[in-house]
Order: sequence, then C-alpha cells, then structure tokens
Amino acid sequence: MVEELLHSQAGIFNFGVFFLLAVVLLLVVLGFVTYAILAERKVMGFMQLRQGPNQVGGRWGLLQTVADVLKLLVKEDTIPKLADKPLFIIAPVIGFAPAFMVMATIPFTDKLQFADLSVGLLYYIAISGLTTIGMVTGGWASNNKYALLGGMRAAAQMISYEIPLVMSVLGIILLTGSLNLNEIVAAQENVWFILLQPVAFIVFLIASVAELNRIPFDLPESENELVAGFTTEYSGFRWAMFMLAEYVYMFAMASLTTVLFLGGWLPLFSFLDFIPGAVWFALKFTVVIFLLIWFRSTFPRIRADQLMEFGWKVLLPVALANIFLTAIIKEVMNLF
Amino acid sequence: MTFSGEFLAFMSLALVAVIGGVLLLNLTKVVHMVVALVFTFVSIAGIYVLLSAEFVAAVQILIYSGAITIIMLFGIMLTRHNDTSEPQTGRWRKLLLFLGVLGFAFAVYIGIYNLDIAQTPTDLHVNNTEQIGIELYSKFIIPFEVTSVLLLVALIGSIVLAKRDDEKEAEEE
Repeated sequence: MVEELLHSQAGIFNFGVFFLLAVVLLLVVLGFVTYAILAERKVMGFMQLRQGPNQVGGRWGLLQTVADVLKLLVKEDTIPKLADKPLFIIAPVIGFAPAFMVMATIPFTDKLQFADLSVGLLYYIAISGLTTIGMVTGGWASNNKYALLGGMRAAAQMISYEIPLVMSVLGIILLTGSLNLNEIVAAQENVWFILLQPVAFIVFLIASVAELNRIPFDLPESENELVAGFTTEYSGFRWAMFMLAEYVYMFAMASLTTVLFLGGWLPLFSFLDFIPGAVWFALKFTVVIFLLIWFRSTFPRIRADQLMEFGWKVLLPVALANIFLTAIIKEVMNLF
Repeated sequence: MTFSGEFLAFMSLALVAVIGGVLLLNLTKVVHMVVALVFTFVSIAGIYVLLSAEFVAAVQILIYSGAITIIMLFGIMLTRHNDTSEPQTGRWRKLLLFLGVLGFAFAVYIGIYNLDIAQTPTDLHVNNTEQIGIELYSKFIIPFEVTSVLLLVALIGSIVLAKRDDEKEAEEE
C-alpha cells in the first residue's frame, strides 16, 4: 500500500494521506516513548533489586509515565531572566525536529516505509547531526556554566563518535553496494551482517550508545558533575521536548541497528517465514532496546578525556581496519 | 508558469534560504547569526533534493549544517562570545547602497529574463551516488587524492600549532 503511495502522482490528496500517516507515526512513537521509559525504569529496578514504579496504574505502574508527562505539561514554564530568550525557545525545537525526521527513512517491513531514499543511511546520519546544534544552542542560551559545559560536551562527543559510526557501517555499504536501507535488508537474505561484520557491529553499538547520550557516555547530562548538563535551566514542556528527542532517537537508533545488522524484517530461519515481518522487526527491535537499558544499569560513566581517547584512538582505528579487511576479503572473493 | 507542488516547495525553501541569509547579515549577536546560517544551509540542501541530487543534499547537511556550524559555534563560545556588531552607517551610504542594489537587481533581471538554457535530457539523476563514486574514483582520482593529502597536511599543521602553544605556556610558567 505504502509502496504504491510512494510512487503515485503528487497531489493535494496524497499530501493529506502522508500528513495523516505522519501524525499516526508520531502518535505511535509517543506511545513507544511512554512505555520505553516505563520499561527502562522497571528493568533497571529489577536489575538493581528494587520494584520500580508500582503505584499509578496497577501493579505494573502502567500509568506512571502518563502521570509524569501530565505533570511536565502543567508545570510552570520558566525562562531565566538573563537567558538568550529567542535561542532558549527555539533550541528544543531544533533538537526535536530532526529526531522525528530521521524516522521517515527507516523501513519497518517490506511494505511499511515512509520514504524510500537512495541515500537512506547517509540521510539518517546527516539529519541526526542537526540535533547537536539544538543541544549546543540550548546550553549556550541558558546562560549557565553547567549548561554551557554540557552543551560543549554534547558537541564534542557527537562529532567524535559520528566518525566511527559512519566508518563502521562502510563495511556494510561495501558488501551491499548501496546506501538504500531496503537493499541493505535484502542483502541479508541468507546471512545477517552481524555475522559477516562482527567488528563493525561492536563499533557501531558503542558509537550509537555515545550518539544517544546514554550511560556510559551520558557526559552531556552527567547528573553528579553538571547538575543536568545542557538541560539545567529547562523545565516543563521544553525539558520534555529534549527528553522526547532523546527517546525518539533511541527508537530510531534501535530500528537502524535492526535494519543494518539484524536483518530488519527478515525471519531468523527461512522455515519461520509464516510469521509476519512486522513481528520479526518488533522482536529484534525489543532485543536492541533491552540491550540499551541493560547497558544503562550495568556500566559506570566514563571520564571526558577517556571518552575522547576511546573514540579517536580505539574505535576509529578499529573501524578503519575493518574497512580495509572487508575490502580485501571482497576483492579476494571476487577473484574466485 | 504553472503553480505546482515543486514550485511551492522551491519558493518556500528559497524564501527560508534568503531570510536566513538576511538575518545572518542583520542580527547583532554572533551566535544568532550562526543559527540563521543553519537555516540557509538546510534549505539549500532541500533545493538540492528538488534537483534530485540526494547525495549532495545529504553531504551538504552532514558537512555544513552538522560539522562546520558546530565548529563555528565552538569557536564563538570559546572566544569572546558576547561580541555584538554595531551598525554604523550614515544616510548617504545607505542611499548609495540602495541605488547599488537596485542597479544590480536590474542588471541581473535583464541578464536572465530572456536567458534560454537549452535543455538536454540526461540520466544524471539516476543512481547519482553510484555515478559520483565511479566518476570520483576513475576520472578524478588524482585531484581526489591530492585533496585528501591537503586535508591531512592541514590536520597535522593544526596539531603542530596547538602543541607549540602548550610548550610556550609551560616555559612562561
């Protein structure tokens, strides 16, 4: 259905259909974010031998996040007196808009995708870089030293880890010969890229956690050094918007990991293909999300200089070596 | 000229690009200027997409909006970020400038009004990422490599400059 729509003639009607679909996707993502936060708190609770939220909405705390969001929305909207007002207001918007834009290119199943871009992978990486500008301007506009430090760290971290992230997927691009995410999934028909590119997977996973600003790489927000990093002066729905951007990126990055390394909507074994692709995608996606939550509750935060050293001196050379190795193996395979 | 979706998209993107440029010149705070510049960069990328040059558009956002802007913001924040530029123009100068702008607009209008660019059908927009890659690595391999060497030289040069600073400071202390 979506495929027909993507190739249909542009017009007012199709614009309306796409608009509606985008709104539906936004609502789905918001629903995901609500329950991802709950899941994160629950899983972390069990890993730390506590209960987690268990009061609002029954024994499992099913309405806890809803209540939290409502609280945030009715909170007083404070802007510091000496803040740079226009930038302070626009920064959460710059931070959030790209997070939702990257969702467009991700193929959830072979039929459900919003934009079949020929440069899908590059589009994701390019657009996600824009969020950093929101963080930096937000940190700067707050006129607060903790916020400024957090914003600076965010910029340095995002730029440093974007490079290994791109370098690690180059191996996959070499093997597929395309930047299109659909073709990347199609190339995993027989064997997933996590088996062909294990080194790339590890580098990608580490760099993606860093790009998501999650523990062990959550230096831009590190609570016990910088109060709350670049969000120190933000409250109410502006703060909620930064948090939302973070969790939407978690959704997008987990989807991207699934598509790139875990075969997207393809089944685990070919005799299991009676199970619909959406279910397979959801299963793999959930595994990646669980992995991210698991990381959060088991790793300590690393120091800023260790972060930089690790990115430039370990991840980047490993990713480069992986590219060389992949290219050589591909050439050798072509000889026979 | 017919009123189509493409025209609408082009006009809105061009408007944002021009407004971004004007704001870049007219805002007083340096950081605001950089944010205005981001809007210009992004809408130019949008115009590339309209011309079916997706690869160039993605690279435009990746390099200009992402990396270069952040580096500029960094530079501004680490130096005297409270700098504001004060407008200092007299009435005569404004009048002369206005005349100059009018003259330029007139000249451009005459120049392009009857300009007829012969349209030749090409297939450059099909698989343009692949085509760029093939061209770059077959026809233009030497300029490509020379550029990368140049970038490497710049990188090492900046490290050398930064290192020297450190030593001097250490001596002073």
